[in-house]
Amino acid sequence: MGLLDSDEGKRRLLTVEIPIIERYNQERDPEYRIQVQRQGSGLALRFRLKPAHNVYELDVRLLSSYPTTPPETRLLTPIKPCPHLLEGQLLCMWRQGSSWATSRWDPARFTCVFAVQSAWRWLACYEVWHETGDWPVPDAK
Amino acid sequence: MVHLIQVGAGSGGMPVLDMVCRDLRIGRVTLIEPDVYKAHNVVRHVFALSAVGRLKAEVAREWLLERRPELQVELLVCDLRDPAFVARIDDAVQTADLGVCAADNEETKYHWDALMRRFAKPWTLGEVLAGGIGGFVHRFLPGGPCYGCVASHLQRSVTVDNAKAPDYSQPGGPAPEVTIPASKAAIGVIAALHAQMTLKLLPGNPGPDEQPPFTSLLLTLERVPGVFDEAYRPYRFRVARSADCLICRADATPAPASAAELDAALDQALTRLGHA
Repeated sequence: MGLLDSDEGKRRLLTVEIPIIERYNQERDPEYRIQVQRQGSGLALRFRLKPAHNVYELDVRLLSSYPTTPPETRLLTPIKPCPHLLEGQLLCMWRQGSSWATSRWDPARFTCVFAVQSAWRWLACYEVWHETGDWPVPDAK
Repeated sequence: MVHLIQVGAGSGGMPVLDMVCRDLRIGRVTLIEPDVYKAHNVVRHVFALSAVGRLKAEVAREWLLERRPELQVELLVCDLRDPAFVARIDDAVQTADLGVCAADNEETKYHWDALMRRFAKPWTLGEVLAGGIGGFVHRFLPGGPCYGCVASHLQRSVTVDNAKAPDYSQPGGPAPEVTIPASKAAIGVIAALHAQMTLKLLPGNPGPDEQPPFTSLLLTLERVPGVFDEAYRPYRFRVARSADCLICRADATPAPASAAELDAALDQALTRLGHA
């Protein structure tokens, strides 16, 4: 029972996630819009981000257990191994028990577009780290 | 005759079920519990060593009937989210008067919350904090805050005990409060509070408007620097329904009513977004 096979999951998509993805897309050029595809019992969001001078391609998976479990955000564009990058180019963005309100996934407040915006912030940090060797925000606590 | 529906009969859920069902107003129980009783459960569970290998649901039914032979006990030996049991679970929730959630994972809690809201049933939830340093009991009434409202509001900085192995990959090394399993005593204290708050929702008690003015009760059991300043201290939280909550806001947002309409609308939206 999950996102695509329960009434609650479908309602969440129709009333919360899809309207906000459409609003995000309205404000962007076609090449930076989010494309959505079914992926098993969940969804996959494909999009590009350009936080500074480079364009990155990303994939966000909303698993069957979404929104209880956070989205999984993966970089498809190869990058250098760096802090906060997990195996398979998965971005480390959410941490249970974190005292930072935005580092702890909250299904009552966050949407998949928040995950996209968090990925943008992550990539902006990566670009600074790539040039300076310093991750510009402290580790999530 | 009150029909109680409960999910979970683990080390926390079974004492709650036992204590609530001692009340003669309870005439019918539906228990949803898929697990088998295992050897590692014995240290914290009320069931005997001799029950290892049996379904917890069946042992729970025997336990209840030994004490209340006239009780109607129905078992749903399934995961709450099992698609094959949707209709039976819906039927049971629809006829229930009161729900108890004694599940130890967030997905089940959110799913239970959605079920209870869909059928407008009051329910309670108990949560023992990792290490048995304290615990929460939450009370949910129709039209009030949902589990998402409450969990988001409390912004918990301690993790709930789910009886899984501690995560030693946490930076800074393992902290005592997440490496020591909750004791049976700690589980029993929170279970008793959970049962007490559940019993207060039974007919004959004050109505929803006259219930104590809090949704969540936290009782600390240990002093943990940086987490709890002192042991045995109660905190009461009155959490309001949040207009911005993405969990229960969907209830009030217009969406197709029937399953077929819902599927058609979703297909259209995904087709649209597939070619964005």
